[in-house]
Amino acid sequence: MEMTLEAEQARTATDFESVVREHWPRVFRFILVSLRDRNDAESLTQDCFLKAYQAWGRFRGEASVSTWLMRIAVNQLRDHARNRRLQFWKRTRTNSDQFNDFHDIPAGVSPEASPEKRAAAKQQVRAVWKAAASLPEQQRTVFLLRFVEDLDLLEIAAVTGLKEGTVKAHLFRALQAVRARMSEAYE
Amino acid sequence: MNEHLTEADISAWVMGDRSNTHVTECAECRIEVAAMEAALLEFRASAHELAAGQTPVVRVAEPRPWWPQLALAAAAVALLLAIPAWQRAERERVAKQEAADTALLRQVDAEVSRAVPGPMEPLVSLVSWDGSNTQ
Repeated sequence: MEMTLEAEQARTATDFESVVREHWPRVFRFILVSLRDRNDAESLTQDCFLKAYQAWGRFRGEASVSTWLMRIAVNQLRDHARNRRLQFWKRTRTNSDQFNDFHDIPAGVSPEASPEKRAAAKQQVRAVWKAAASLPEQQRTVFLLRFVEDLDLLEIAAVTGLKEGTVKAHLFRALQAVRARMSEAYE
Repeated sequence: MNEHLTEADISAWVMGDRSNTHVTECAECRIEVAAMEAALLEFRASAHELAAGQTPVVRVAEPRPWWPQLALAAAAVALLLAIPAWQRAERERVAKQEAADTALLRQVDAEVSRAVPGPMEPLVSLVSWDGSNTQ
C-alpha cells in the first residue's frame, strides 16, 4: 500500500521518538562528562538530537544508530569547544552549573562500603575526574568513550573518525596522565 | 621474576594488552593494576550516577499538516491577483466621480452666470436694458 507523505512523516517522527527515548541517556551522559556543565550539556544534547532528527530521513544505517548519534555528539562538542574558545568571555560567567571543584561528584562506590573505603574511593574518583578534565580534547573524548561509555577501540574509531592506531595512542597518553594525577593525589 | 611493571606497562594492561605475563607472577603489580582498574570502574559508576535520571527534554514535533500552508499560499496569490483589479475599479470610480464633479461645476457656473433666473429668461429677450421695447 502506498504511504502518503503525511503518513510517512508521522511514521518517521514516531520512529525517532523511540530513538530519543533509547539513546538520550547515553548521549547526555557523554556530553555532561565531557563538559562538566549540566545546563550546557542539556542544551547541547538537544542540539544533537535536533541535528539527528533533521538528518534522520537520510540515515541509511551504515553505522549503528548509537555510533551515528555519538558521532554527532562528538562533532557538536568540537564545535562547542571552538565557539567557547572564540567567546572567551563566556568562561567568566558566574551562574555556570559547572562542577569544576569536583566536590559534588558521586563517589561511584556502594553505600554499604566502609567510610574509609568510601573516602579513599572518592579521592581516587576525584583524581580521575580532574585528570580527565585537564586532558586535551581528543584524548578526553577517547578516554571517556572507552571508560565511561565502554566502547572498544574500533567503535571509538568509528565515532571519532580517527584511525584505530591513533585512538590507541590517545588512550595510552590519557591513561598515563590519569595515572600521574592519581599518584599526585596520594602524595 | 621480571622487573615490576612500569607506568606504561600498567596503562597498556588496562587498555587490554595482556602480553606482559609479569602481572600473573607478581602480587604487588597485580594489586597495582587492580587498583587502577577499580578507580576507572568507580569513575564510570560516578559518571553514570551523575547523569542518571535525566529524561529527554526534547519532543520531536509532529509533522504539521500541509493544507494550512497551501491555503495561505492560495490566499497570497489571490490577494496579488485582486490588487490590480481593485486598482482598476478604484481608478474608474475616481474618474466617474471627477466627471460628475466637473458636470456639477459646469452647471453651477452656468447658474451663476445667468443675469436672471431661468424661468424669466424668455422675458429678457423681449425687453432691452435701456427700457425700449424691442417688439
